[in-house]
Amino acid sequence: MYKKTKFFDLNYYKFLGSWAWILHRLTGLALIFYLSLHVWVISTLAGDNGQFNEIMKFLGSPLFKYLEIGLWFVILFHAFNGIRVVIVDFFKGSLYHKSLFWILMIIAFVLWVWGSYIMVTHIIG
Amino acid sequence: MKKGLTETSKTGAIAWLLQRITAVILFVLLIVHYIGYHMLSKGVGKVDGAEQISYEKVKALMSSPFFNLIQFLFLISALYHGVNGLWTVIEDYVSNKGWRLFLYSLLVVVGISLLFVGTMTILKVGA
Repeated sequence: MYKKTKFFDLNYYKFLGSWAWILHRLTGLALIFYLSLHVWVISTLAGDNGQFNEIMKFLGSPLFKYLEIGLWFVILFHAFNGIRVVIVDFFKGSLYHKSLFWILMIIAFVLWVWGSYIMVTHIIG
Repeated sequence: MKKGLTETSKTGAIAWLLQRITAVILFVLLIVHYIGYHMLSKGVGKVDGAEQISYEKVKALMSSPFFNLIQFLFLISALYHGVNGLWTVIEDYVSNKGWRLFLYSLLVVVGISLLFVGTMTILKVGA
């Protein structure tokens, strides 16, 4: 029979890896939602230019621009924590996965600030 | 124990490996995507005089065969990674066999549909 898992087992809340795991899961779910929308929006390019421009006008509103800053965070977390998962699985990364997590998160954070700065100047500039 | 379609804990090693291979592909292609589509392209385009992502601008971006190949690889990797990732999550919380089969089938159908829509977009716009 199948075994059920708790969505987030509170017995493990003090472990860094447990938080990384649940955040990876949540950002992953968000990215699947975004990917589906993205494929649909871009598919309107195959139609006439009016429809695509209408959608882009809607998605170009400040609300979606600010959501894109959140999307950039979600992508960076998932990508950089994902790199940690690959390193842990293939290169004995379990011996140093905590310091690896923080090093990768610092890189991700720098990239997030940099990209967000560019996006904010586009919104207000 | 009898091996069912949704008992992927028995065949999950290949899926596990593919999830990591597509992860690395996505990481590399994401960098190519950002450089090609966001850094090298100056400005977003104009619609009726106002600055906005425009049909002409995106269509021009999607006219390069090289980037279209990249896009296609990105599409396949992202869809596989997303569908397999979602299945991994479902496996953790859904234990009912009927529900599992239903959700598994739904994921396959949605995944193939999105692959079809995405591929047709690249072919139609890129041609």
